[in-house]
Amino acid sequence: MSLWRTLFRIPWHIIVLSLLLVAIGAMALYSASEGSWQPWAGRHAMRGAFGVGVVLVMAFVDFKILHRLSYFMLIAAIAVLVALLVIGSGPNVARWISIGGVSFQPSEPAKIAIILALARYFDSQPQDRMQSLIVYLPAIGMIAIPFLLVMKQPDLGTALMLLLGGLSVLFAAGLPWRYVGGAVIAALVAMPVLWSQLHAYQKSRVMTFLNPESDVLGAGYQIIQSKIALGSGGLFGKGFLMGSQSQLNYLPEKQTDFVFTMIGEEFGLVGNLFILALYLALSLSILRVSFLVRSRFSQLTCMGLSMMLFFYVFVNVAMVSGMLPVVGAPLPLISYGGTSMLTVFIGLGIVTSILIHDRQED
Amino acid sequence: MRRGKEKDLRRVMSRRGFILAGATVSMTGFLAARLYYLQVAQTSRYRRLSDRNQFDVRVVPPVRGRLFDRKMRLVAGNAESFELRITPLYADNLQETLKLLATIVDLPELRQAYVLDMAKTLPSFREIMVRDDLSQRELARLAVRSALLPGVSFGKSLRRIYPQGALTCHITGYVSPVTQREIEKDETLEIMPTLGTGKTGVELVFERKLRGFPGREKIEVNATGRPIKVQSDVPSAAGNDLRLSIDIGVQLHAAERLRRGRWDTVELGSHEVQAALAQDAELQAHLAVGDNMILRDGNDRLVPAESGAAVVMDIHSGEVISLVSAPMFDPNLFTGRLLNRDWRRLNEHPRRPLLNRVTSGLYAPGSTFKMVVGLAALEAGVISENTEFFCKGERELGTSVFHCWRKGGHGVMNIVSALEQSCDVYFYEIALKTGIQKIRDMALRLGLGAATGVNLPDEKSGIIPNHEWKLATKGSVWTPGETVVASIGQGYVLTTPMQLAVMTARIANGSKAVAPSLLSKSADASSDFAPLNISESALAIIRRGMFKVLHGAAGTANKYKLSKDYGGMAGKTGTVQVRRISLAQREKGIVKNIDRPWAERDHALFVAYAPIKNPRYAISVVVEHGGSGSSTAAPVARDILAKTIAERGVT
Repeated sequence: MSLWRTLFRIPWHIIVLSLLLVAIGAMALYSASEGSWQPWAGRHAMRGAFGVGVVLVMAFVDFKILHRLSYFMLIAAIAVLVALLVIGSGPNVARWISIGGVSFQPSEPAKIAIILALARYFDSQPQDRMQSLIVYLPAIGMIAIPFLLVMKQPDLGTALMLLLGGLSVLFAAGLPWRYVGGAVIAALVAMPVLWSQLHAYQKSRVMTFLNPESDVLGAGYQIIQSKIALGSGGLFGKGFLMGSQSQLNYLPEKQTDFVFTMIGEEFGLVGNLFILALYLALSLSILRVSFLVRSRFSQLTCMGLSMMLFFYVFVNVAMVSGMLPVVGAPLPLISYGGTSMLTVFIGLGIVTSILIHDRQED
Repeated sequence: MRRGKEKDLRRVMSRRGFILAGATVSMTGFLAARLYYLQVAQTSRYRRLSDRNQFDVRVVPPVRGRLFDRKMRLVAGNAESFELRITPLYADNLQETLKLLATIVDLPELRQAYVLDMAKTLPSFREIMVRDDLSQRELARLAVRSALLPGVSFGKSLRRIYPQGALTCHITGYVSPVTQREIEKDETLEIMPTLGTGKTGVELVFERKLRGFPGREKIEVNATGRPIKVQSDVPSAAGNDLRLSIDIGVQLHAAERLRRGRWDTVELGSHEVQAALAQDAELQAHLAVGDNMILRDGNDRLVPAESGAAVVMDIHSGEVISLVSAPMFDPNLFTGRLLNRDWRRLNEHPRRPLLNRVTSGLYAPGSTFKMVVGLAALEAGVISENTEFFCKGERELGTSVFHCWRKGGHGVMNIVSALEQSCDVYFYEIALKTGIQKIRDMALRLGLGAATGVNLPDEKSGIIPNHEWKLATKGSVWTPGETVVASIGQGYVLTTPMQLAVMTARIANGSKAVAPSLLSKSADASSDFAPLNISESALAIIRRGMFKVLHGAAGTANKYKLSKDYGGMAGKTGTVQVRRISLAQREKGIVKNIDRPWAERDHALFVAYAPIKNPRYAISVVVEHGGSGSSTAAPVARDILAKTIAERGVT
């Protein structure tokens, strides 16, 4: 395939949407550090540029390599997660791994690995067997193992994302409705079991989510302050750099999980809806790619990545607006964090590669 | 077949794709609805909560209005003073720090407990005022030990000062810290505990005007409570400055002159004085309340300065030019922390320096009341200018005998000569013919028997008796003998020096029922008093009598004429017996005033107006136990009037 044809086929609208989100992120981080490019905004913008570079490079990579490597990637990711649990780097929380001075969270590549591995698995299954439960059991195992490992770290947010992303691939692959219904019932039954597996701080997060006013200065603080910041932003917000909740440090984690709150305080409902619209456009754009490509592997990968991205947005926004407990889920491309941003761009790179090298017309 | 299956599955997956897209859109819609609820429907609630987070609202006490004399000299102002503050957040151990502070500065345990209490209720980053009005000495001691006192800092606050000190004490009154009872009446005081409130004098009467309105200061605080910036939300409104009618120049002279009385001052430093002081408890007590004027009396004894009252007012505008009550006290003692010792000295001093004698001191008016009786008789038509009575030195009434002050009697008297010589018998006669009710009516019209309404608190109304009053208070009927006693301003009759000045001003003014005021008035605002409605011819006769008191050959005060340069004055003496003179004493011959104990001597009174033509000022002087009105009070009044006219002129 010629260079020009490749460049022509690159889904530029997806790149523009992602760059817009990175720019919004840089602006928000600039405000989060009280009007300074240090320490977050500048690096965020640079990482965004690097991420776009990654996407462009991956446009030239044939998606078949991903197909071939997908199982190995999942096994590698699981191995790293196990290693992390055994070694551990934090006193209670083992999420980071450091290789040659660069720290990253191994749970991030695991997300992509799961989707690719599931897509390959379903791609390999004969179509006429898709109605039987047996086909889905190995897939459930592929989701459950990394899910439980990340849960043990403990990182409830990421584990939840792995679960939701993986389940959405299952659903997209054609999981019969009876099993969907069964899964919902099973989830409800599993709740108490899951609950007992949670750490004390996770339990308290859930409890304070249910009643944040019970502990205004303790665990409920984040939710209450976040709701105050969002609500006081009103329709048009308090203005750039004028968010008193964020600027006066009432808002915790404003550069990561609560960045959406900060934007809401400074730019109001209008700003928030604009961002939601961008995410919706990005998710639907990726989902649309699944209709344009040939292989089931490609289709399922795009669907899975689209849904994973959207679930991140949904969980994050629902969390900061007090609809879900604070589980720790960043806002893709806007929250500060190198590994998670790179993961998103690698995901977009995969989508780009698939679109270019597996189009139906060819 | 395989192709069909493939197609089937593609359809399933497409359908699933659409379902996922639909789920994405509807979940986004759900988030949008949630955000709409928070950011639009509930925004005012969250905005309030955000403001409560962001701002710490403090009350800014207003700056109290100042007081000036009529020439804009400062009488009451505000000076910066240092206060000690503590921030519990930075104090390692609040209780220990307070204990240590108590060894360095005066800090009662009650106050320590208060600070600990406040620390429990306030955010720990809030400064708490521990002590105000630090002395230089305390400041120095604190500075040396500051390393041992984490969280302790200094701040400036305003303290009320009275630069004229004791001189204006009974006019200004004083400001002192807010009391619990005041807070119960006015809740706004609770949030400004450092704000003093006026307790007496003009400071009390004009409290509302002087206080101003507190402001609110919004302080932006971050999540750890550190102030970021101050935003004044509502600025405090300073109280109004007031310009008093008092002239400090006259006041200074009047205070000195009244207290000197008829004696000479002595140098405090001399050996003789020091020796006398050491033995004389009365003199010691006198000096202890801050009055350092010592007199040498006619018997060559060292005595404290005279007590009494002197008040000068403008007979047209009612403006009070000078108001002196002696002994005086230093109002600055009250503004900070009043020491128990000072309070006891002032409160237990036998001459009661805290009492404002001008408005709250009750004195029998004595012969100064004779103008009232004369006017009542003239108006009632009981007498005319030429009606004569014979004074043989006493007047019998039933079984009683009422004496004239002159044993031998005055002979034939008319109203003018009776005023000139202050003949008692003449007034016995006309009072009996006029009756107490008409005398009382006239007294009230001249401003006696009721508060004058001058801008001072606790003003006494005095007593002008009649039948009903006697029946109501004593439960017995009025007797003619009591009319006789009342006619020379004794018995039940009680007046304040302020009332006597008003009476004199109305007699001199002639047309308006002038009333006193302590506020300076503009030149054209002088005629809004009610008409006096006393016949001008009667007033002219009385004024002629008052003229004769000073200018008649037999005038009781003719030694104390006011110089022609000042236009002369007309007046009336009054000498008031404090003790009834018994028959035994009378037979032994009356003991001279100066040979009696101080508290048994007569009060000396004098009322006057000046100049004689086109009068402008009225004065009343009371020298407590000062001897006779003529010898003691008249020269005091004369000198104060001279000073008034010299300072102020007559136009």
